[in-house]
Parts: sequence; structure tokens; C-alpha cells
Amino acid sequence: MTQTNAIPISADEQPWVLPDKGIVGMWCLIAAEAAIFLIFVVAYLYYLGKSLSGPTPAQVLELPILGTICLLSSSLTVHAAVTALRRADVRRCSLALGATVALGSIFLLTTAQEWHHLIYEVGLTIQTNLFGTTYFSLVGLHATHVIIGLLLLSAVLLFSLGGHVTAHHAERLEVLSLYWHFVDAVWIVVFLVVYVIGR
Amino acid sequence: MATSTTALEAIDVTGPTSQPPGPGIVYQWLTTVDHKKIGLMYIVYALLFLVIAGVQAMLMRIQLAVPNNHFVSPQTFNRLFTMHGTTMIFFVAVPVLFGFGNYLIPLMIGARDMAFPRLNAFSFWLSAFGGVLLYLSYFAGSGLYGAGSAPDVGWFAYAPLTSKVFSPGHSTDYWTLAVLLSGIGTTGTAVNIVATALCMRCKGMTLNRMPLLVWLYTVASCMVFVVVSPLSAAQIMLCLDRYLGSHFFDTQAGGSAVLWMHFFWIFGHPEVYILILPTFAFINEIVPVFSRKAIFGYPAMVAASVGIGFVSLSVWAHHMFTVGMGPAGNTFFVFATMVVSVPTGIKMFNWLATIWGGKVIYRVPMLFSVGFLFQFLIAGLTGIMLSSAPFDWQLSASYFVVAHFHYVIVGGIMFSLFAAFYYWYPKMTGRMMDETLGKWHFWLFVIGFHLTFDFMHIPGLLGMPRRVYTYEAGRGWEVWNFIVGIGAIVQGIATLIFVYNLIHSYFRGKEAGPDPWDAWTLEWATTSPPPDYNFAMEPTATSARPLWDLKHPDDQDSSYE
Amino acid sequence: MAEHESESIQSSSVPHASAVHLPAPTVWPMVLALGIALICTGMVTHWVIALLGLLLIAPAVVGWFREVLPSENLVHVSVSTQIVPVSSSRAARARSPHGINHRKLLPIETFSVMAGIKGGIAGGTAMILPAALYGVIRYHSIWYAVNLLAAGGFVSWAGQSDAFLAQFHLQGLLAASAIHGTASVLIGLLYGAMLPMYPRKPIVTAGFIAPFLWTGLLYSALGVISPILDQRINWLWFVLSQIFFGLVAGYVVNLQVKVRTPQFQALPFVVRAGIHTSSADDEDPL
Repeated sequence: MTQTNAIPISADEQPWVLPDKGIVGMWCLIAAEAAIFLIFVVAYLYYLGKSLSGPTPAQVLELPILGTICLLSSSLTVHAAVTALRRADVRRCSLALGATVALGSIFLLTTAQEWHHLIYEVGLTIQTNLFGTTYFSLVGLHATHVIIGLLLLSAVLLFSLGGHVTAHHAERLEVLSLYWHFVDAVWIVVFLVVYVIGR
Repeated sequence: MATSTTALEAIDVTGPTSQPPGPGIVYQWLTTVDHKKIGLMYIVYALLFLVIAGVQAMLMRIQLAVPNNHFVSPQTFNRLFTMHGTTMIFFVAVPVLFGFGNYLIPLMIGARDMAFPRLNAFSFWLSAFGGVLLYLSYFAGSGLYGAGSAPDVGWFAYAPLTSKVFSPGHSTDYWTLAVLLSGIGTTGTAVNIVATALCMRCKGMTLNRMPLLVWLYTVASCMVFVVVSPLSAAQIMLCLDRYLGSHFFDTQAGGSAVLWMHFFWIFGHPEVYILILPTFAFINEIVPVFSRKAIFGYPAMVAASVGIGFVSLSVWAHHMFTVGMGPAGNTFFVFATMVVSVPTGIKMFNWLATIWGGKVIYRVPMLFSVGFLFQFLIAGLTGIMLSSAPFDWQLSASYFVVAHFHYVIVGGIMFSLFAAFYYWYPKMTGRMMDETLGKWHFWLFVIGFHLTFDFMHIPGLLGMPRRVYTYEAGRGWEVWNFIVGIGAIVQGIATLIFVYNLIHSYFRGKEAGPDPWDAWTLEWATTSPPPDYNFAMEPTATSARPLWDLKHPDDQDSSYE
Repeated sequence: MAEHESESIQSSSVPHASAVHLPAPTVWPMVLALGIALICTGMVTHWVIALLGLLLIAPAVVGWFREVLPSENLVHVSVSTQIVPVSSSRAARARSPHGINHRKLLPIETFSVMAGIKGGIAGGTAMILPAALYGVIRYHSIWYAVNLLAAGGFVSWAGQSDAFLAQFHLQGLLAASAIHGTASVLIGLLYGAMLPMYPRKPIVTAGFIAPFLWTGLLYSALGVISPILDQRINWLWFVLSQIFFGLVAGYVVNLQVKVRTPQFQALPFVVRAGIHTSSADDEDPL
């Protein structure tokens, strides 16, 4: 096979690019988290209408329109923050981050209000029936993720207000925004399952 | 082939790595983020648990060796099989495999460390503390009645046995929380492995040149995301049930025990493939080197691994044929289970084709690999028998099932692990493992293994259920159980030889040099043990076997890609 | 190629003493793990231990954060280089000169997977003919085979008489079409994947070898997949239809354009240019 060596193999001298490890890591985490949510959603759907006693979802749940709008629009603002930081526009980035944190907090407040209503006015707790069990665990799991995301976003907001965030950190902020998009996407599923199908 | 000597790597450590003596060295290991040190810690920690869980197995076999035995109490026996299963899966098999992965993957792809070194350390310590928490149950039982409160609900902890009513105290909580911690640690390491394989490859190491070991670890890690997470979710539900009084698995309030079975086995069955894929990975590296041939069918191997990954996600309910899922469910899971054997068969034939016509060198790693091929085939065949629902109805929860999955785990995973130990020990310590002791280990272990697990099938076929504390004489089970007990002791002796060999060779072993096996992957291009930074200069991969290319400049793999 | 290779050797063997930056050792990941584990321990023992865990988590999170931001904490490990020779210990003996075929390059040309799928669709369409013929000859109805196949999907048709199966049923037709279509495409896909193993005579492999393979596979598995089908199936007609399927599929595949495998790249230029025939076509002993 001596001739083989004479044949030049297309020596493509392209630069050696590999995907960003933060993004890949976050996608992996999202896959794992999605599986956790999937199990809770399956449990919710499986136990739908199997409660031995009341109250039922149709009696006590109302569509959380305001919270949903806030949470979904916070996806847009966090995206705006990333694009602003890419263009080294730190001021606009802080503004968008602030809006994201505010919108996320409003969502969290609406959830808290709903829980307060259910626990103290309706008397539905996690121990009441299967609906309570699955509802509080699914919505609570999502709310936990919102809280974690809000803590991280607030930290970034504080640092950007303190002037520590530069365009170098755009990649890292994008990783965080990916997480936030995921939290929003999960809410769409939770919303459909709990408030649309479940009622 | 003329001799060719080429320098690939220029490596040395300036001055001796001055390891601070005494507390300093402990602090060094506690704070390390080096993938090699973390890998070694994973392996050592898994070996410790292997010895503990092995002793538990031995105690159970002594208890069952003769009928009407009262060597241990029934309560202790329940704890023994629960702890044995939990330890072996979560605190031996997973950490030891991830330990090897941690150690080898960056070296094989020519990287200096994992993608997230600190996350790596975090994941390790989380798993390690999980194991410690599990064993704390023996000492810190609630109220300290009896001998602590080790979990006794079986390693799959079926509901409603795990509910507060039937399992008072904290014994089940120890199990849940320890497994949850180990699950989070596992997920963290899996994230790390995927990110490392995708983002840290050296120049020229395209995906179709990546060593098969890295490919298989990547597939197994991707499975971890979709498989271990359901277990974590189920453990969270169980915690909510036990601590906050929710009703997920509370049958009194309409909860479903079958749902737990589904959730557990959605994890439980693919977990077997998460464990077996890395051991396939070891065989993929060892068999070609000791057959002196390139692996046969590299793309088919990758495709088969991905195929196993996908199909194995849809087979879980073959653990539940006796639940009564109806004909449609049964048929689906029978068929899916049988389909899994197709990609596995492809792998089997590719290994045989690799050996075929090669110049096989029967050193200890190859001996264990051949043992693996033979035993994994039999384990797969009994698996196909059990995948048929009517057959499973007869033998579910019998010793036949126990024998089957021990054939997979001991005959397959353990043998491949031993091969990996003998193969990579020179790289990790710089010294060869003793060949004579290794051969004693191999032959004794083979004999012990076959005594134990070949004959364990028979009491299963004769109707002996698993997890029985003892049994009456005169059912035809005595002889078989006695033989099984003897085999267990032989295996124990063989394992002791192995442990002795590990320690002995660390101090007295022959110097290994960078490349004792004349192998072809990048980890052999650096010194043994590798320096902290692995490679002084980042290597370049020209084909799937970069070292072959350097050793044989006139006959390069890269000409054939 | 030779140039490419020497380049990579050079780049990696240049003596080069410098420092390497590695992530600095840090205690915080361990402390964070310990904190989380202590919280869990607190859940099974006493809440004070969980409190201790919480106390550990707070500094650990901050410590870890400061490890990575504002800039990653690195240590400088100095490197002085020494040549590690890479050589094969087994290369001491000179090997007899190897010919052009010391590495088998098979196949050079093959059909793409799409060709297999096209063949599967064509074969599946053609297979309707013998199947209908079977129904007409044995039961005087072209719908029998259709309904029998559909019965594999409808458990409720298990006990139906031959007369029932000989009538026209819309849902039977739909189900059978779905099953037959999926199976044809899948078999075509499998066939396309197997083509590189026997790329030369697609009609023979598709027409005779493959039908017996599928039949054997189905014969052993059908009792599990669909017991109804298993009871009533006529294996002679089944094999005949399979062969018909295969012949058509093979014919269609044969019409497709062959694609070159990566191994083609390794051939000498004269062969690739078509001036000489490929030596891999010669039958040489292994």
C-alpha cells in the first residue's frame, strides 16, 4: 500500500472548535431536571381524579394568568440581558436583569398567594388527599427552581450594578439564561397539566 | 515492520512531587480537584464498600448453606440482603466505574482535566458521604434499639412496606437519603463526563476517532440523566410521604404501590445498562490490545451502544410481569426486552471478530476479558429466557432470577472490572500487578463464580424463592445451597488474593514504564503515573489509534479513514 | 499524508519547558457536600446536625463562588520536559513485506441506506399481490390476508371465523396498511443497513437470503408477538410472498446508484480514477 501515502488526504486545516462546556453542562442538567419533572407530571396525571376525598382541582384552582404572563415574559427580558451584555451594554443588561428578577418575583408572589388561599381558606394541604399531594409537590418543585433561578439572577444583578459584570461574562450569563428558559418551559407544561388538563 | 521510535510526549515533573507528610497529605486529598486523584478516591472507596458488601454476601451464604440454620437472626438477614444490594449497586459498582471513567477519559482524549473539576470533587464527596450515611444506620439507629436500624426493605424498597406504618423509625429514611445523595453525585459526574467528552478533546480527536471507552461512557452518562433522575424524583416523593405525610405511595389514601414499582424500575433496569456499558468499554480497549488487532466494527460498536441506550429505556416493566399489566403491556415489554439483545449481540460478535485471527496474548487482563465474554453470553441467554412473560411468571422472585442478575453483575461487570484493574493499574501506580497472583486470582475466581452462580439456578428452578431466611430440609435445595456456599468462600479467597496483589504490587511490583502493554490510546503516551497536568504538550490525534500511527509510520490508521 | 503526520510529531516533540495552569485545589466542594450530607443526617438523627450542615453550606457556596469568579483560581505547575519514547516493543522482528491487501478494504462501493428503504417500499407494495392471491385461492376473498394481518393488532378478533376475516372491514384495512407499511419500511431499513455486508448481488441477497432470515426471525417470535397470526398463518405462502417482496426490493435497490465508502479514499489514485480496476475486487486468501 505504498501508493497510498502519496495521495494527499484533504488536509482541512480548519480551526479546532469545540462546543462551550458551560452550555453543554447546562443542557445535561436540563435533561436530568426534565426527567425529574416528568416523573412528577406522570404522578400528577396518574392520580388525577383518584383522590378519595375532596377538594378537587375544579373546585379550588383558578387560572394563574398574571403569574404565567410575568414568568413567560421574563424569558424575553433575560434574553435581552444576554444580547445586551454581548454588545457590552452593561446598563441595558442590568435593566433587563432587573426586569427579569421583578417579573420572576411577581410570579412567585402569585404562587405564594395561591398556596395561602389553598392552605388557609380552602384547607387543602399536602396531607389532605392525592390532589394535594401531587399538586403541592409538582408546583412546589417548580417554585423551588424559580427561587434558585431568582437567587442566581439577583446575584448577577447585584454584581452588574456594582460594575463587576463585563462582556467577558456573556457566556456565563447565557448559561444562566438557558436555565431560566428551562424553568419557564417547565411552567408551560405545569400550567397545561395542572390548570388546563387537570381541571 | 521496522522499528520506529518517535517521541510523542515530552513529560517530566520538575523535581520530585514533594508530598507533604502527615496531615498535609490528607488535606491534599480532601481539597484535590485533579481528575486522577478523584478517580483513585472513587476506586478505593468503592473497594472498601466491595469488601463490606462481600462480607454481607458471605454471611448470607453461610446462613443459607444448610437448612434450618440460625446463624443470623431473621431481622439481621433482612438487613443483610438490603444493605448488600444497595451497597453493591450504588456504592460499589457506580463509584468504581465512574472512578475509572474519571481517571481515564481526560487521559484518553488528551485533556488536562475534566470539564468541571470542582463539580467533580463535589460529586465524589456527595456520593462518598451518601455511603457513610447509609452505614451510619448500623450505629446510629433511632433510639439505638437492637443493632442500630439498618434498612431492611430490600434494595428496591417496594411500597407500601416503606410507609411509616410498616417501617417505623428511620431505617428506611437512611436508605432513601443515602441513595438520593448518591444519585445527585452520580448525575453531577455524568454531566461532567458528557461535557468533558464533547468539549475537552485534543486537536484532531473528532467524534469518530474518540476511543470507544469514551464513547460508551458518554452514552452511559446520557442515560444517567434520564434514568437516575426518576429515581431521585421517586426518593423525593418517598421522603415527602414519610416526613410530610403526603400520599404518593400510601395505598390507604388511594396511592399506588405499582407506581413506585414503575418509578423504581424505570431507574432500575437501565441502571444495569449504565453499569454494563462502561464494562463493555473496558473490554473494547483490552481485547484489541491483547489480540494485537484494531477493534472490529468501530462504527457498529458506537451505534450498538447508542441503540442499547435507547432500547433499554423501554424495557423496565419486564421486572413487573407478575403485577398483571395486561396482554398489551406484557407483549410490548417482552418484545422490547428481546430487542435489546440485538445490539448486545452485535457487540459480542464484534469482540469475537476482533479476537478472530489476532495474535492473542493471554495475560491476566485478557483472561478476565475472555471470562467476561463467556459469562456475559450465558447471562444474556438466561435474560432472554426470563424476558418471556410466561417463563417469568414461573420464576419471578426465585433464585433463578438472583442467579441471572448475579451472572450479569459478577460474571460480566466484575470480571470486566478485574480486567480493567490489571490493565490500568500500571498506569495509575507505575507498577505492574503481579502476574502469578493475578492468575491465581483469575482461576480461583472463575471456579468460585461458576460453583456459586451456575448452581444457584437450580434451586431457583426447584422453586426456592429469593430472600428467604431459611428453608426446611427435604425439598432438594440443600445440596445446591451448600455448593453455592462453598463457591462463595472460594470467591472470597480469590478476592482476598486480589486485594493483597493490589497492595503488594504497589510496593513491590515491577516498574511498568509508560506503555507496558504496547497499546494505542493516548493514556499510554504519558508517564506512569501521569503528572498532574497529564500531557506537557497537548497531543494531536491522527486517527482512532494515535499511538499506532506513531509506532508504525509506514502503515498508519489515518490512511484508512 | 506523510506531511500531515510529520507535522503532528514535530508539534508535539518540540522541547518546551513552561508552566501549565491547572485549577487550584479547593476545600469548598467537599465542605458543600459535607453540609448537604449533614442536613440529610440531621433528618434521621437530630435537627442540630442539620443546622450544622446549613452553617457549612453558607461559607462553602461563597468560597466556591470566589474560586471561579471574578477569575478562575489557577495554580501554576512548572513543567520541564523529557522525551518519552513511543515505540512498539513488538516491532523488533522485521515482518515480511506486506502486499496491497494486508488490510482488507471492504466494501469500496455500496448502496446507501435510502436505497434499502426504497426497496422496502417497493417490495411492500408488490407483496400485496401474492398476499391477495393467497386469499383468493384459499378463501375466495382478497380481504382475508388483510384482516389476518390486522387481527395481529386487534386482540378482539382472536376468535373470529374465517368467514368474518374474509369480509371487508375498513378498520382492518387501515390497521393492516399501517402494520404492513411500517414493517416494510423497517425491513427496508434493516436491509439497507445490511447491504454493505453483501453489496454485490442485491437481488440474490434480497430475494433469497433475506426472506429466509426474516421468516426464521418471525417464525420464532410470532407466537409472542401475535398468537392469532401464529395459529392461522400459512408458512409456505408466507415464504413465497417474502421471496416476491425480496426480489422486487432487490431489483429496486439494484437500480440505485452506488455510493463510495470512506475506504475508497485509501485506494491509489489510478484505481479511484478508474484507470485500473480495484485490487480489492480480486479474491485473495485472508
